[in-house]
Amino acid sequence: MDITRQRSFLHDEKQFAHALARAAAGAIIFALPLLMTMEMWELGFYMDRFRLALFILVTLPVLFGLSYFAGFEETFCWQDDLIDALSAFAVGFLMSAVLLTVFAIVRLDQPLPEIIGKIALQSVPASIGAMLARKQLGQQDDSDKERRIRSSYPGELFLMGAGALFVGFNVAPTEEMILISYKMSPWHAVALAVLSLGLLHIFVYTVGFAGQENAGDDGFLSVFLRFSVAGYGIALLISLYLLWTFERIAGLSMMELVTAMVVLGFPSALGAATARLIV
Amino acid sequence: MADIRENDVASRDEDGSASVSRLAWISSGLGLLLFLGSVGVLGYEGITRGNGPPVITAMVEEVVPAGPRWLAHIRVTNDGGKTGAKVQVEGQLMAGDEALETSVAEFDYVPAGSEQKGGLFFDRDPRAHDVRLRVLGYVEP
Repeated sequence: MDITRQRSFLHDEKQFAHALARAAAGAIIFALPLLMTMEMWELGFYMDRFRLALFILVTLPVLFGLSYFAGFEETFCWQDDLIDALSAFAVGFLMSAVLLTVFAIVRLDQPLPEIIGKIALQSVPASIGAMLARKQLGQQDDSDKERRIRSSYPGELFLMGAGALFVGFNVAPTEEMILISYKMSPWHAVALAVLSLGLLHIFVYTVGFAGQENAGDDGFLSVFLRFSVAGYGIALLISLYLLWTFERIAGLSMMELVTAMVVLGFPSALGAATARLIV
Repeated sequence: MADIRENDVASRDEDGSASVSRLAWISSGLGLLLFLGSVGVLGYEGITRGNGPPVITAMVEEVVPAGPRWLAHIRVTNDGGKTGAKVQVEGQLMAGDEALETSVAEFDYVPAGSEQKGGLFFDRDPRAHDVRLRVLGYVEP
């Protein structure tokens, strides 16, 4: 039984402390661009409270799913995944709090809801970064079990969604997303959509990245429809959700809304394509 | 030993989290606390703050000499439901109905339920005159 208990990092104090330290490093590195983005600080206090609360709520299942597929330590049952997800959130929240305080973005004389809003918003990318730390900074030890889960179709879609959320989130708060869409004509938008979809497909199935998917025996059309088109659809939906969360779409006409969605859909699609490489 | 560990996955799943280390409990407990706390504070704030327009007022805190001129420290407070961006505050030194001097400051943001500080420079000593502060306007962020 003693041997069994050593099976997972989670059950070994020292190993878990090590995993937490790596998670903290991941939180800082992955969240740094957003921690140093002005719009993120401002959104933290002025964005709609319910949308921010919903965003935090959505983060937990995403963390749970990431832990299930590839967390900062190996897990063997859903309780372990829950513990990992909550630990990643704690690490992300605390890292955000420390850095925002050092940057003097958060000061103790500010009202509590303002402080909480700023930190909570940053803790979303930070906690996802904490969760990704294992794959990026830790040892490469994909077990057969993980590979099996990851090759299931819903698992693939989830990972694409998580990748789209993470990369899309890195640019969604900036005003440039809307500015770019104002500059584009409908034809530019069509070209960008085609480019996004093409790159998504090429990144995953053609370019020789490590960890890329093998198209196997399925025909081009089947793979293209089941993975690339579905992945781009997920990327667009997540882009729309991010734009709505950050209140970037209020008052836009349908054409402008779709263009903004396609603009943000570009980084999201690349995130979806590379998710299986990163996660 | 490696073999034993690999073969033990099934029994591991059964005895579950009973043997989870104390550090894991602490960090996940803290995570749960922070998670529920954030959502709770934000939800409470969303319910109580309301959705009304910004209600922004300005007042002079103190006047100090600033080189050859004078500096009036001002504080703007937003008691409304929404944040005001690019909030302009105009200060005038009055002699009766006539404005002797006008200075303007612009605040990037005055978040709902919070206060921001700034200052207005004057050539004359504001303490010797009536100071009229007016919040001119804002845009939605």
